Amino acid sequence: MIATRGLTKRYGKTTALSDLTLEIQRGEVFGLLGPNGSGKTTTIRLLLGLLQPTAGRASVAGLDCRTESVAVRRLISYLPGELRPFPAMSGYGYLEFLSSLRGGDSLPRAVAIAEKIMKLDLDRKVRAYSTGMKQKLSLAMAFSEPVEILILDEPTSALDPSARLDVLELVKAAKARGQTVIFSGHVLSEVEKVCDRVAIMRRGRLMKVEDLHTRRCLRMLLIRFPHRDRVEFPPELEASIRTHEGDVVLAEHRGPILPMLDWLRTQGIVDLAVGTEDLHSLYDEYHGPNAVEDVESIPLMGQ
Amino acid sequence: MKMRLFRALVKKGLLDGRWTLGLSSLSLFGLSWMFVYVAARIERSLAEAQAEGRAPRAGMFRGMGGAAMDFSTAAIQMAFWKHPFVILTIAIWAIARGTAAVGGELERGSMDIILSRPVSRTTYLMSQVVTALVGLGVLVSALVLGNVLGSMAVGLSSPVSAKILARPGMNLYAMGVIMFGYTLLFSSVDSVRWRPNLLGSVATLVGFILQIVVNLPTLEDWKWLGKYSIFSAYDPVEAVVKGEKYLFNSSVLLGLGLVLVALSAASFSRRDLPTPG
Repeated sequence: MIATRGLTKRYGKTTALSDLTLEIQRGEVFGLLGPNGSGKTTTIRLLLGLLQPTAGRASVAGLDCRTESVAVRRLISYLPGELRPFPAMSGYGYLEFLSSLRGGDSLPRAVAIAEKIMKLDLDRKVRAYSTGMKQKLSLAMAFSEPVEILILDEPTSALDPSARLDVLELVKAAKARGQTVIFSGHVLSEVEKVCDRVAIMRRGRLMKVEDLHTRRCLRMLLIRFPHRDRVEFPPELEASIRTHEGDVVLAEHRGPILPMLDWLRTQGIVDLAVGTEDLHSLYDEYHGPNAVEDVESIPLMGQ
Repeated sequence: MKMRLFRALVKKGLLDGRWTLGLSSLSLFGLSWMFVYVAARIERSLAEAQAEGRAPRAGMFRGMGGAAMDFSTAAIQMAFWKHPFVILTIAIWAIARGTAAVGGELERGSMDIILSRPVSRTTYLMSQVVTALVGLGVLVSALVLGNVLGSMAVGLSSPVSAKILARPGMNLYAMGVIMFGYTLLFSSVDSVRWRPNLLGSVATLVGFILQIVVNLPTLEDWKWLGKYSIFSAYDPVEAVVKGEKYLFNSSVLLGLGLVLVALSAASFSRRDLPTPG
């Protein structure tokens, strides 16, 4: 549905996005992760044709994002991270104006979402709305539009906890309708809840694409072996060693649990702890305190 | 669908500028009415001076009205159309719309909201141009209407008809278009509003000062500077009294203004639209 090949954006000597090659499938909820300045918003703006690429290309449903930008944007609804709705309009006027830019069909649905789910008073002027209310108004518009792709840039940043849950439910509903969603955010637990895959970006480079369905099957095993210098798991167990310090091994395990337990029993282990690993630990590999400082030294995805 | 989209954008532009446009139109209407009233009083005092054999103060009127100035009521009324307040009101609208069109909308983040939808950059910019042109039309119409209704109310001996007033009106409109054109060009390459605002205002002010300088009797040899001022092509007295140059002047201003709009569109269609600052 969405594909980029060597997509690069430079501003003079500054590289905002470097050689991004990525594919997002139809109906997928795809997370974009990374701190500010990592290239998430640049990627989104290149997809929307708001920026011209320095090199490479991006396409949506086979349409070139640079040369067929209007046709691309016909397929996309975008919620910007920096929300500044028109203050002089009423909530209703804002929804009416934006829906008129797409033919006006989405207005009843936008009004329904804004009033029933977001609990907004649409007669009030937008200038009288709080930041969270403005975000809800824009979300109502984004989720109501008859498009194939939703791009949500930090959609929950100004919302209260219950509204955040509503947004996650709306994302799931969008996926159920067959819409493709790009979810850019900083709250990892939310991304983990709704996304099928995530891309971790750093300083304009794509560092890792992780399938969260596979990751949800991942369990971490902390095993204490009796006086063992070397541990090797049989390949059929689908386990790999992450760290080995003294007698203690930290292993990643993706296979079924019973064969693993049978094998461990034969090894005469001293202790075993089973846990899961959340997205945070993966994120920390690239952005945590122990992350490699020089990103240029890290091989790019696919290399 | 495309027409509906375009109408929605123009409506939004006019909604954004409604206070400036409303107050400016009201001011121009009132001012134009007042000019007629003042012209009627001057007409009376000139008649009295003539009856008493005194010479009218020709120098003052020549300075205001330009080369075509005579002592007809029409010329006296039109001399007031060169009043700095009239020019300032037109300039405020033209510069405000020019700066808002790209730099201003980018700065406040509203362009993202519009251009992330299936709206081409050309359609967007043209909606901004149409908004500015409609506003200029409203302002000039207010000036003309104030004159027509004022003439009827005050009872001028020889009021200028709306048809004749359309000539200086067109001239003033064309001057507004060129002001909008150069400000739009500054705005189309910028991401903030203050810079094109500053550049547009300075360009207008420099033109206005040049026009004052070339009209000073002591600076006869500086007349050539007038070629570099758009205000040299704005002569409402000539447009009404002789009507020989206004069409050419207006065409030049309008043509240059449209060239500047086309350059702005070309620059805007290729540029990056960064995140709001």
